[in-house]
Amino acid sequence: MQLTKVFALAAASAIFCGPIFSQAAPAPADTATKTLSTRIVAYQIEAKLDPTKHTIAASESLTYKNLTGQPQQTFPFHLYLNAFQPQSTFMTEVRRSGTRGSGPDTEWDPKHFGSITVDKLEVAGAGDLTDKMQFIQPDDKNTDDHTVVQITLPKPIAPGASVEFHIVFHDVLPKVVERTGYAHDFDMVGQWFPKVGVWWKNAWNCHQFHANTEFFADFGTFDVKITVPQNEVVGAGGDLVSSATNPDGTKTLTYHSEDVHDFSWTASPSFTVVEDSWTGSQGPVKIHLLISPGHESSSQRYIKAAKGSLQLFDEWYGPYPYDRLTMVDPPHGGADAGGMEYPTLITLGTGVHMPQGVLAPEVVTEHEFGHQYWYGMVATNEFEEAWLDEGINSYTEVKVMDALYGKNTSVLNFPFAQMGESGLQQIGYLADPAKDPISRFAWLFYNNNSYGGITYSKTATMLLTLEKVIGEDTLRQALHTYFMRYRFTHPTGEDFLKTIEEVSGKDLHWYFNQAVYGTQVLDYSLADAHSDPLKWWDTAAHDSKKNDKDEIYRTYVTVVRKGDFQFPVDLEVKFEDHTTAAEHWDGQDRWVRYHYDRKAKIESAQIDAHSQITMDRDYFNNSYIEDANPRAAHKLRNIWVFASEWLSQLLAWLT
Amino acid sequence: MAESNRGTFFSGAGLVWKWQRLVWWLFFVCLIFGFYSTQEMTERASFLLNNSAAAQRLVNGFDFSSIVTLQQLPDSPLEIQGHTILHFSILFVILMLFATGGILAAYVLGEKPTTTAFFEAAGHHFWRLFRLLIYLVIVLLPIAGLAAATNAIYTHIEDTSISPYPGDHVVEAAAIVILLLLIIVRVWFDMAQVIAVADDEKKMHRALRRAFTLFRHNFFSLLWLYLRVSIIEWLLFALGLHVWMFHLSPQSVVAAFLVSQLMILTWIGTRLWQRASEAIWYRNHQANHAAAPAWSPAPEPMYMPVAAPAPQQ
Repeated sequence: MQLTKVFALAAASAIFCGPIFSQAAPAPADTATKTLSTRIVAYQIEAKLDPTKHTIAASESLTYKNLTGQPQQTFPFHLYLNAFQPQSTFMTEVRRSGTRGSGPDTEWDPKHFGSITVDKLEVAGAGDLTDKMQFIQPDDKNTDDHTVVQITLPKPIAPGASVEFHIVFHDVLPKVVERTGYAHDFDMVGQWFPKVGVWWKNAWNCHQFHANTEFFADFGTFDVKITVPQNEVVGAGGDLVSSATNPDGTKTLTYHSEDVHDFSWTASPSFTVVEDSWTGSQGPVKIHLLISPGHESSSQRYIKAAKGSLQLFDEWYGPYPYDRLTMVDPPHGGADAGGMEYPTLITLGTGVHMPQGVLAPEVVTEHEFGHQYWYGMVATNEFEEAWLDEGINSYTEVKVMDALYGKNTSVLNFPFAQMGESGLQQIGYLADPAKDPISRFAWLFYNNNSYGGITYSKTATMLLTLEKVIGEDTLRQALHTYFMRYRFTHPTGEDFLKTIEEVSGKDLHWYFNQAVYGTQVLDYSLADAHSDPLKWWDTAAHDSKKNDKDEIYRTYVTVVRKGDFQFPVDLEVKFEDHTTAAEHWDGQDRWVRYHYDRKAKIESAQIDAHSQITMDRDYFNNSYIEDANPRAAHKLRNIWVFASEWLSQLLAWLT
Repeated sequence: MAESNRGTFFSGAGLVWKWQRLVWWLFFVCLIFGFYSTQEMTERASFLLNNSAAAQRLVNGFDFSSIVTLQQLPDSPLEIQGHTILHFSILFVILMLFATGGILAAYVLGEKPTTTAFFEAAGHHFWRLFRLLIYLVIVLLPIAGLAAATNAIYTHIEDTSISPYPGDHVVEAAAIVILLLLIIVRVWFDMAQVIAVADDEKKMHRALRRAFTLFRHNFFSLLWLYLRVSIIEWLLFALGLHVWMFHLSPQSVVAAFLVSQLMILTWIGTRLWQRASEAIWYRNHQANHAAAPAWSPAPEPMYMPVAAPAPQQ
């Protein structure tokens, strides 16, 4: 009890003193220079795009500040465009288990070839170390995978000192795959430069590119010069500092970005630019929308969703500190470049004739914007704990989309069919709920479907269900505290779960052990509900008392735990005389039976009457209503009969 | 020179209306098959939904995620629908093939189709129409090839075109062409069926040849006859769908049932309208062009030759 009070006090402090927490957080900012993040890396890149060949020739200067607390002699770098080659680990995994947009047994298409080649690598004070580069495979020992390279310096870099790398490299962009590459005249340039790994948990963390994984990098600054033909419209994850035209018909655009951990950009002569702005608690934010041909009708839908998301994130979770948000709408044929997040740049997705009732543009805008918080600023390890970005982001997607577009209509909104975000997450999770725990490393999931269903949707439904335990407002406050405390750092799953426990003042291990670290499936069922005359054996008395208000009935209600997941359950029983009974069962045993002696028969019994346990696999078995209502079944039958007749008529056309 | 089909269009509708019993019979058989094919699913859905508060998600609106959840349940009521529906649909196709002989005999003769005459004609012509069905499948193969080619062209355009529209336009144009080709093929084969029934033609390749010649000489006239009915058919269907999806209250099960069945009824009716129109057209054509018409105002029943003695060698 005392412990609970301490937790409650801590939670109250977190609620009312959020910013204090953030200042007290472990190294959230370099206070000397008042930067938002601890800037470990400083990239200066000059890149020239050949839009015909879809290649990039570039040079990079990276200054790495050794804040690891120990001498560092070996540095790993990501070379992720090398994933798009047939022998890579990525393609091996795609071939085995599929990935987004590709099923298992996918054939290799040479158009999807991509590469990044380091032509020269020099280290200030150590000279040319190109020959010292060595591909490593920390995850699977696939020696044909060239997505991580390691450089060993002649002598270690002392703690607190910096090292400068000068790298000359060139990229071959693939036809869009995994959110990178070209389609027609569109180039989406992501994961395109040698990016140093993260010193994390006392070791280098620099994973290979996998089918199910995303990224992890340190915060810093980016100064990037991009040279493209003058007709190209460019969008980038940085502020445009200058623009200069060159005599050879090109232009060079200079971008600066700080307190971010990645930099991406896009170019296409076919983009139409839509400008807008939004003002939040940290000042105005410029919104640049680059819209592709044929998608103009979605412009305002994108903008509205972005502004709504900015507003609610700002109110609920914390301020958006950047002064820009670039939104890229990929062209037709480039949809695989859509639905991706980079710091201050997100890619979207729509269609030429996207119906108003299908809120796909809104959902993708909200989701990718949400990653500015859960990935962009709270920079968790997307390889090892993908649920911390995708999962939390899917939960906030539910909250924001429901608030903006209606709880039951935030995905589909037609007179004849509707769907809300929580329903979307529920079906995503319940498609295959028991193969993997949320906490599994992303590349070790059973397959791509399990990864998606568990990482995104199970986490979202797990948090929605948690609202029943700690309350929606408390969970929102916990997310606010988590964001304010860990923005611009690399927190872990434990940090997240501890924050929730701290803010809620509750020990939630029993829940997290099952929901996060386990694969148990939750399914409580109302197995039986019926009323019987109490003196059932006294048939004469019973017959004479028909319709007699003095007749006493014994009502039995039995609740069964069908799944292995144990969760407290609330039961609500209604009787014909409008009286009610409420029960709270801890849900530990396999079943529980209640009985009531009343002068009325049962009218209905229901567990989870407010549909809060979204992890429940089968919510159709949660209730019993005495008066059967066949309307839903008849409605389904109407559709099925019509479909059957319609198929008959189509086939009968042959006769 | 093309012949006029003036009056045939309305006469066909009149004939369908006059002997609407045929439409109703087909409709009710289709409906019964529809019910039977979905019976098990409905029972399982009823068991799951009738006493469940969660079913309200499907009553007060139509929550799509609930449908998917139902589908994902281990004992899903939606699990077996595909095969059963397909089996009953194929059964309906066989029945329709059987009934076509009787229907066409009634339309060609212009007489009230008695039950006996209907079934005798249906049985008499069944195998001929089955052979025509095989020919039809062969003729449809190049059209299927065209559809496949369209898909390949679409993929190529999508790969090369900057604009999203050319690919869509190619598909739209190809869809119109394929639809027209299908109607043309149907006019041709319907004419062959009429010839097979009206003239008691035993050789289906001959019936097809004659039908082709007739159709070739009266191409636009006959095509327009079918196209008009098809357009009415599609418009009525689209209207029904629109009313069902956008105007009916989510709770109105009976109204939804009536609208959906009206759509099926009009679909059957308009299809028979095409058949009746072509039968009348052929009847008129024979009356106008043949010195000794193959069809006479009071002919022997078309199925009679089956019972007639074999000609002397």
